[in-house]
Amino acid sequence: MRLLDIRNLNIELITNDSTIKAVESANFSMKMAEVSGLIGESGSGKSLVAKALVGMLNNRWEVTADRLHFMGQDLNRMSESKRRKVISDNISMIYQEPRRCLDPTSNIFSQLEESLPDYEFSGWFGAKKELRLKKCIRLLHKVGIKEHEKVFNSYPHMLSEGICQKIMIAMAIAKEPKLLIADEPTTSLEADTSLKVIKLLKSLNQLKEMGVIFITHNLFSITSWADSINVMYCGQLIESGLTKNIINSPKHPYTKALFDSEPDFNSRDANNKQKLYALKGTIPTLQHLPIGCRLGPRCPNAQRACVKMPEQQKVKGQFFRCHYPLQQKPLNNNWKKA
Amino acid sequence: MLNYFYRKLSLLFFITFGVTVFVFSLNYLFPTDVLSNMSGITNINEIDYDVIAQKYNLNDSVFTQYFGFVGRLLDGDWGVSFINGTSIFNQVFRVLPATIELAIYALLYSFIIAIPLGILASSDKHPWLDKSILALSIIGFSMPIFWLALLLILIFSIGLGWFPTSGRLSLIYNIPSSSGFLFLDILRSNIDYKSEALADAFKHLVLPTFVLAAYPTTVLIRTTRQSMKDVMNTSYVKAAKIKGLTSGQLLRRHGLRNGLLPVIQMLGIHFGTVITLAIVTEVIFAWPGIGSWLVDAIHQRDYPAIQGGLLVISGMVFVATILFDLLYMIFDPLARRHGHGKI
Ligand SMILES: Nc1ncnc2c1ncn2[C@@H]1O[C@H](COP(=O)(O)OP(=O)(O)OP(=O)(O)O)[C@@H](O)[C@H]1O
Ligand code: SF4
Ligand SMILES: [Mg+2]
Repeated sequence: MRLLDIRNLNIELITNDSTIKAVESANFSMKMAEVSGLIGESGSGKSLVAKALVGMLNNRWEVTADRLHFMGQDLNRMSESKRRKVISDNISMIYQEPRRCLDPTSNIFSQLEESLPDYEFSGWFGAKKELRLKKCIRLLHKVGIKEHEKVFNSYPHMLSEGICQKIMIAMAIAKEPKLLIADEPTTSLEADTSLKVIKLLKSLNQLKEMGVIFITHNLFSITSWADSINVMYCGQLIESGLTKNIINSPKHPYTKALFDSEPDFNSRDANNKQKLYALKGTIPTLQHLPIGCRLGPRCPNAQRACVKMPEQQKVKGQFFRCHYPLQQKPLNNNWKKA
Repeated sequence: MLNYFYRKLSLLFFITFGVTVFVFSLNYLFPTDVLSNMSGITNINEIDYDVIAQKYNLNDSVFTQYFGFVGRLLDGDWGVSFINGTSIFNQVFRVLPATIELAIYALLYSFIIAIPLGILASSDKHPWLDKSILALSIIGFSMPIFWLALLLILIFSIGLGWFPTSGRLSLIYNIPSSSGFLFLDILRSNIDYKSEALADAFKHLVLPTFVLAAYPTTVLIRTTRQSMKDVMNTSYVKAAKIKGLTSGQLLRRHGLRNGLLPVIQMLGIHFGTVITLAIVTEVIFAWPGIGSWLVDAIHQRDYPAIQGGLLVISGMVFVATILFDLLYMIFDPLARRHGHGKI
């Protein structure tokens, strides 16, 4: 059984005079307990995909998909309330803007407590309350907050962004979901806590069979533990496949550029000054997308055929969208070790 | 917190100062003699004049006069009425409870009606409901209140005879006035026709309350609708929804507290308008409150009474403003923030 299977996902923003396609025909699938990385530049639509999955987009957005299966259930064919139930029981999300996702007028304890599933902890009222409190304290300790008493009674505006993010993480793992969507979960954390959090997610992934979609633009944090990697560019999933395949032989020029643009600290000559590789130009805005391949104007390999939008191809389990897939191995092989 | 109170208190101080200066200057601006305006005594003869002028510091500087004026205000010596020579202070505080009662019931009523309607209208699920509630509120908003009052009297009092046209209580009931708040007085009195008296007081209350509530209700419906729409669209409400909260829990735990904040603020802002409308309502329904009392004073050119009425009404408005502010603070932790460090 697949944890998640999405075919042809489109996300459109409806404005007064036009509709803007923010994410276009994305295909995405995950096995149970798989860790999947979603990488892309800022503005490529990673958060949109995540939000569309949990149904967080408001009615200005139109989300359509040919297939939307979650653990064998077809979310498209469910009633609104059933879908809400399935999602809230099984999926949780660490949001990119932690503070905006916390209610400014209620204290942290009540918000953390309501993330615990209702059915847990039977017993008479007082005992149940006690157990839930204990569980909340344990959760905070897990994400590295020691002064639980103080934090429980605080309101979001009294806490720093990093603490808010930790609370967000505690809330997300509270119900031990089958799928955790982590949208840049470590951006406002200091380096060692960030490692701790990733370790925590890893252990949950292994012990509780929790699938993880890890959204990031930091390749380092993902190549070491993701089973598969999906690369987004300008609202399209341009390449996806198993991590080792993607590292060893990226097919899409953009994926290769992504790897090449990371400074290489492992190689022996890290001290030598060398120019960081970067694609020329910048990511186009959604209103001014190029015709044909979206990478076209920036692509070093672009040729005549690229004015037509490349369809998705599959070679040895690796999906990509490019007329001229790369053949050679990348020069920089250190990713295997990372 | 202390800082907050300090800010509010200094604001209160300056407003009080402004209002008292204005009311004091009225002594000089009104056409009749300054001393008469101050004391309320008309046709003062030569002999008494010096004595009274002495008491009101008339021969000293304006500043001394002003401070004397404030001192007398604090003492409760607000002069006497031109018309009947009784103490203004006593008169004002005898009629004030009726107005407070009317305003509170009207605000309560509009709160109870407007909040659920506003929440209903804010929901995306029933666009037709939203449209009809909005239409209703616009009709209510644009209807002149005196016209609405007369219409209601025509239909319900004269046509159907359900409610009395004026007053607070039928004259056949003789309720000793202790607090001035009618329902309280009736409950506390030891008369043997209590329930009849209560029913009668209620009947008298219905039309004025409805008329006075029309304006705040429409304002509140629209404020509630907009702010609930905004709040239900925020990331934190949606995040809570994904946690698995039901719609009811969502509304109770996150929606209402955040959504009602602008509503409370709006109530505070519009309280002054409500009091103005209360004056109109009182005049139409001959409600024996401060509004109709003040209008009578104006008609009769009872200058000391006008001063007293102005003072009390403005005082009432800013006390209410502060109360709404406090209420806002209780609901909103951000307003309560007192700059302590972050952890
Ligand atoms: N509420 C919105 N209104 C209009 N456009 C939006 C809105 N939210 C996102 N977008 C657009 O959708 C595109 C994708 O945004 P998204 O937030 O998914 O990017 P992202 O990949 O998560 O970037 P980041 O790494 O900065 O989080 C962006 O071009 C953004 O401008
Ligand atoms: S289709 Fe052409 S332009 Fe697009 S990535 Fe491939 S080679 Fe580059
Ligand atoms: Mg994002």
